[in-house]
Amino acid sequence: MTTLQTEVLVVGGGGTGAGIAWDAALRGYDVILVDRADLAEGTSGRFHGLLHSGGRYVVKDPIAARECVEENAIVRSIASAAIEDTGGLFVTTPDDDPAYGDQFLAGCAEAGLPTEEIDVAQALRREPRLNPGITRAFTVADASVDVWQLVWALANGAATRGARILPYHRCVELHREGDAVTGARLHDERTGETVEVQAAFTINAGGAWAHEIAEMAGIEGVSVVPGKGIMIAMNHRLVNTVVNRCTIPADGDIIVPIRTVSVIGTTDIRSEHPDDLPVTQEEVDAMLADGERLVPGFRNQRAMRVWAGVRPLFDDKKAGAGGSTRDVSRGTALLDHGERDGVGGFITITGGKLTTYRLMAEEAVDAMVEQLGHDRPCTTKTTALPGSEDGAYMSPGTRLRARDRHLKTEQLICECELIERSTLEAGMRARGSQNLDDIRRSLRLGMGPCQGGFCIPRATGILHSLDRLTAAEANTSMRSFLEERWKGVYPILYGDQLRQARLDDWIFQGVLDVEHLPGGPDRDVAATTAREAS
Amino acid sequence: MKWDVIVAGAGTAGLTAAVRAAQSGKKVLVLAKGAGATHLAPLTIDVLGYAPERVESPLASLGGFLADNPDHPYARTGEAAIGEALAWFSDVMAETYPYTGGLERNILLPSAIGAWRPSALVPVTMAEGDLRRDEPMVIVGLRQLKDFHPALLADNLQRAGVPARAVELDIEFDRVDVSTVGLARALDRPEVRSLLAAQLAVRLRSGERVGFPAALGLRHAHTVWSELQDRLGRPVFEIPTVPPSVPGLRVDRILTDALRAAGGRVILGSEIVGAQPDAGGVTVRAKAAARDIEHRADWLVLATGGFAEGSIMLDADWRARETVLDLPLAHVPAAGEARFVPDYFDVQPMARVGVAVDAGLRPVGPDGSRVHERVLVAGASIGGAVPWKEHSGEGISVTTGYHAAGQIAPKASPSVGTRAAA
Repeated sequence: MTTLQTEVLVVGGGGTGAGIAWDAALRGYDVILVDRADLAEGTSGRFHGLLHSGGRYVVKDPIAARECVEENAIVRSIASAAIEDTGGLFVTTPDDDPAYGDQFLAGCAEAGLPTEEIDVAQALRREPRLNPGITRAFTVADASVDVWQLVWALANGAATRGARILPYHRCVELHREGDAVTGARLHDERTGETVEVQAAFTINAGGAWAHEIAEMAGIEGVSVVPGKGIMIAMNHRLVNTVVNRCTIPADGDIIVPIRTVSVIGTTDIRSEHPDDLPVTQEEVDAMLADGERLVPGFRNQRAMRVWAGVRPLFDDKKAGAGGSTRDVSRGTALLDHGERDGVGGFITITGGKLTTYRLMAEEAVDAMVEQLGHDRPCTTKTTALPGSEDGAYMSPGTRLRARDRHLKTEQLICECELIERSTLEAGMRARGSQNLDDIRRSLRLGMGPCQGGFCIPRATGILHSLDRLTAAEANTSMRSFLEERWKGVYPILYGDQLRQARLDDWIFQGVLDVEHLPGGPDRDVAATTAREAS
Repeated sequence: MKWDVIVAGAGTAGLTAAVRAAQSGKKVLVLAKGAGATHLAPLTIDVLGYAPERVESPLASLGGFLADNPDHPYARTGEAAIGEALAWFSDVMAETYPYTGGLERNILLPSAIGAWRPSALVPVTMAEGDLRRDEPMVIVGLRQLKDFHPALLADNLQRAGVPARAVELDIEFDRVDVSTVGLARALDRPEVRSLLAAQLAVRLRSGERVGFPAALGLRHAHTVWSELQDRLGRPVFEIPTVPPSVPGLRVDRILTDALRAAGGRVILGSEIVGAQPDAGGVTVRAKAAARDIEHRADWLVLATGGFAEGSIMLDADWRARETVLDLPLAHVPAAGEARFVPDYFDVQPMARVGVAVDAGLRPVGPDGSRVHERVLVAGASIGGAVPWKEHSGEGISVTTGYHAAGQIAPKASPSVGTRAAA
């Protein structure tokens, strides 16, 4: 058993938790950030990748809209390397009421969101695939964000200031001494080891799981309603601008171009448990039909992957049974458990959205600083994250340009996402992980149209030789990748993507025979396997 | 022009049907959208590898397997056709790229990551990799070949009790990325083989047999392989890799050459865009450079493949269809039934979907009656199998391709019967 001491323990490694770790580290605190899985594997990694301009909320939730307007500008300036400046359009489709556009304009003015109504013809020139039947179009400052880049930049930034980042460390117990939380017991999901943390202050950034963490401190009534949303990634950038339907927020009304794909989202369905998010045929059909409204022919493109995320919607009055969760406030819930429950050294922050992660972090750390009686102001508004110092946005052509220079000197491991061998090896070393899904999130390995058909056998071989994994570990890593991938693939398999999937089966089952690797299917081995201590 | 037989598809099934028909005196035209699935397949002839436990002897297991799977393509052709087809295939390959094995006992060969693949008939260039034998193996990779990782392969063999180790060579190429096809072409050149053998010889231990990625020559595979055995003074074997498949390219060339030698013709880039079968034959419209061209034949052999080849499609409205003739499909999950199941390694219901055929390989409707008399179906187009799980894909292709050719007016061609008996 290991015992660690720290000033601040942050439980939950999504956008909010990583933001808190960075914020607190910048203010000079010693920080430990833990998550039961990989960073940004919960809600933060399961959204559409939209950095909101605020346009979506201007009519219905002006406070949220104003927050988005401000945070959008700040995040663009401090985390540019994780952001593509796509811009956004709100368009009135034939199914939408054109009069909403006037409400929209008024709301934008109210929220301080710069917008301009442009000619439909101009909008169609900018996005030729858009439904030609649109009647109005408005520009906004939407952007797309690579959330894994963002969250890891936050975590790495914190780490350079001494923070310890512990993914795959599940918080299984919070320790209380008298009226205060004094730390936590962690379970290392990869080694099975127990880690004790003694912390002066603990921040619960558990998002949709925040109630589970709060209950560990004996605190009841933290009610987070899981609102499930599904997203589908299509294999092209069908649009190069974020496209929103100009209407009261509903299902399937946003398409976000991000990296090599475009993502449509989302839905909002009351879910029983944040870990149980099945995707149904009806949801997929509805989402594809929604895509068709914005981009005719959408359905006949290749749907590559579907996933479901869960919004942490905080509800102090217990949510009623059934019905939509969309009307629950999306605002941040910051609970000072000293005031609320008489438990000191412990706060919970939940709710919110990725776009406002920084503001949430600031508010949470401010609350902690106040409780501790310190005077340490927040500096995250003006401090660039590692890699974003030059303020340059990411762009879809970056990897292609680099590839051009390395044609004769670098092996290309993932053709879809243009990942070269040295990049892959560096990424594997940096993560110290033998989980190919971790590498996928860090580098987009296997995220392209072939969904890992060609790069995953290569990456498995490289991981095996690089890390000196045993063959059993390498096999498990590959099998886990395939099983995890399949979950996001099978509900949307049709057309050419089904053809691709069958080719992948041919490779993995027919040629390589992954299923019958020695040792058998041993599928009881945890999806995230242990890295043997060397 | 009028043909006796038009074969749609230039994969293993299509070329098998075409060559056999042409050798029996038919005028044969192969129309194909592009290169066949030969370019993807390891071209070991796997007849039945798992059912679902590993099959030691296809001959002994097929009876029980077909009793459990009465809609399997082998159940249509009959077991006897499998043996005949394999004998015929071996015969065609014998001169340039000989195969060894048979239905009595599956040969166990390592896959490119070290699993044990059971195959009935394998190229001689792979046969020394027989995992039932005791001699230790050394697996040879090449730094420049990203699709072959000898250390992982060898470790997996070790785990299963086969003594194995890995060696990685670094041969100068003009680039850092070489494909299996590029390597195979290079090894067709004697000086590259000499270099390889010289680099490797000093790193071998006594008693070891030597496994290479299946890239030992493209046009001269058998020569390259036997020369390396001589130079290294020990058994050498190839291990199939992910696509593109060098063994597949070899077989494609041999079958295509055999077809041309027998008077047949292959036109790639001629996707069939319309076909009208009638009582006396089939009229086919196919894409060509300037405009579509019509071809007429007494028979059409449909060997365009399944989902992986894009010949059976599941549309965006979830309707499955065969794309050339819109033939009736069997095993399509009904509305509300699962098309796929959540566990990747389970049998996926959609995998069985394919054209329903009778014993004469004619497409049939739900009531079992023939929908076209002059259309024959072969290979992955036929439903009822789960080729990658069963390890039966090439076996089905060779058997149904052979059997389809056998259905074509055998009366007019006595030589067909003679061959089948051989």
